[in-house]
Amino acid sequence: MERLFDIQIEKLKTRLIKMCSLVDEQVDFAIKAMEEEDADLAQVVVDRDKKVDKYDVKIEKVCQKIFALNQPVAMDLRLIMSSLTINNNLERIGDIAVNIAEAFLILKKKPSFIDKTKFSEMAKVAKEMVKDSIDAFIENDAKLAQKVLKTDDILDELNSENHKILIELMKADPAVIEEAVSLLVTSRQMERMGDHATNIAEDVYFIVEAQLIKHKYEKIMLDDDNDDDAETEN
Amino acid sequence: MKEIKDCKIKTENLSLFYGPKQALNNISLEVPSQKVTALIGPSGCGKSTFLRTLNRMNDLIDKVKITGKVYVDNQDIYDKKLDVVDLRRRVGMVFQKPNLFPMSTYDNVIYGTRLNGIRNRKKQDEIVEKSLNQAALWDEVKDRLHEPGLGLSGGQQQRLCIARTLAVEPEIVLMDEPASALDPISTAKIEELIHDLKKLYTIVIVTHNMQQAARVSDLTAFFYLGELIEFDKTKKIFTKPKIKQTEDYVTGRFG
Repeated sequence: MERLFDIQIEKLKTRLIKMCSLVDEQVDFAIKAMEEEDADLAQVVVDRDKKVDKYDVKIEKVCQKIFALNQPVAMDLRLIMSSLTINNNLERIGDIAVNIAEAFLILKKKPSFIDKTKFSEMAKVAKEMVKDSIDAFIENDAKLAQKVLKTDDILDELNSENHKILIELMKADPAVIEEAVSLLVTSRQMERMGDHATNIAEDVYFIVEAQLIKHKYEKIMLDDDNDDDAETEN
Repeated sequence: MKEIKDCKIKTENLSLFYGPKQALNNISLEVPSQKVTALIGPSGCGKSTFLRTLNRMNDLIDKVKITGKVYVDNQDIYDKKLDVVDLRRRVGMVFQKPNLFPMSTYDNVIYGTRLNGIRNRKKQDEIVEKSLNQAALWDEVKDRLHEPGLGLSGGQQQRLCIARTLAVEPEIVLMDEPASALDPISTAKIEELIHDLKKLYTIVIVTHNMQQAARVSDLTAFFYLGELIEFDKTKKIFTKPKIKQTEDYVTGRFG
């Protein structure tokens, strides 16, 4: 007979996986809307954000219930702790997708100079990071999570380059300022998307390997003896 | 786990047999001084049997055979020359159900000390007050010391048993599920008491309640079918145990 606790964990995982699929698609649609100048698709992204928010609340409720009624330890504890932060990061990625879609709806067309920028490359890398971080969570794949962590630097670099290119374009032709500024913001948004994907990857690593990797991959051991010494001194 | 600093109790390849049935298999464990070590595991895993080897309470059971060594302060406690009565003073024990003598609260506390030759009334009064204070019971019983101990509540009776153990100035206190017969508030008081007692005594506690083990202990030993499966800092056992069987047990997947 399945334990009630296991049923609750399965419910949590199912909801998180649905949230993952939804957010992954939102990101895909938002970028596609810009690349293919599809206003209807952009509107779908904006309208569907309510669904993402609903999932966010439902997942938090499930986690709260599990903590209140059980005392999860070890791998269960890591999963539920990480579910809260993964959920949070997914919701933010969803918001970024909406921002990108809304930016396009304001512009109404793809900027003519877009191919001179790193937009397509950034979009490709950011989409892949989001997808990989979600796959890493679904598959409990620590190696895939590590790949996402390493890719973040590439995205940061592309964002910096984009920034320079757009500044130069604006200096050369003030008429493009409005579109260029919009792309600058979108570029920054995609870089933030990568950061959230990185956070998800860090959480996946924590679930699978029981190690915290934060702040540029500095490993923090859960049983670090230094923590105990600090507690004793206090 | 790293080598234990300041080891108070050490077992080496300890095995125990009840007649032909082996209850403990090759247990090697070091219990550090002035810390709380919890023994956890499913029913019948040998944790209470192991606890009783630490003050030779198993000697009182027929057909028990022990192989291997048990050291307290580097002294082999199964040495034939050892004074077992003194061992049981140094290594006190508190049981699951309070087992008070049919006497007053005062006499329950002082009984063991009287047997050890303390006759001076003023000294006895001091010992009673000190022990009851250490057991966090003094304020509740100071005005009725000479009333029957059995008239106290369950939680108070258990703390009286603890006071009785402490009166003879042990170094180690063994506790076999000390709170399992108590209500949640009494349990919380016992747990707070354990936290205070470890400043002075080495404590080994058997408990079925994993959350209790997680709350009160510094180290946890997981037993299964008479074997020691894993022994580590409690924080580690409950966040990142090394052995899958330990993880399955603490997460409630078996046991």
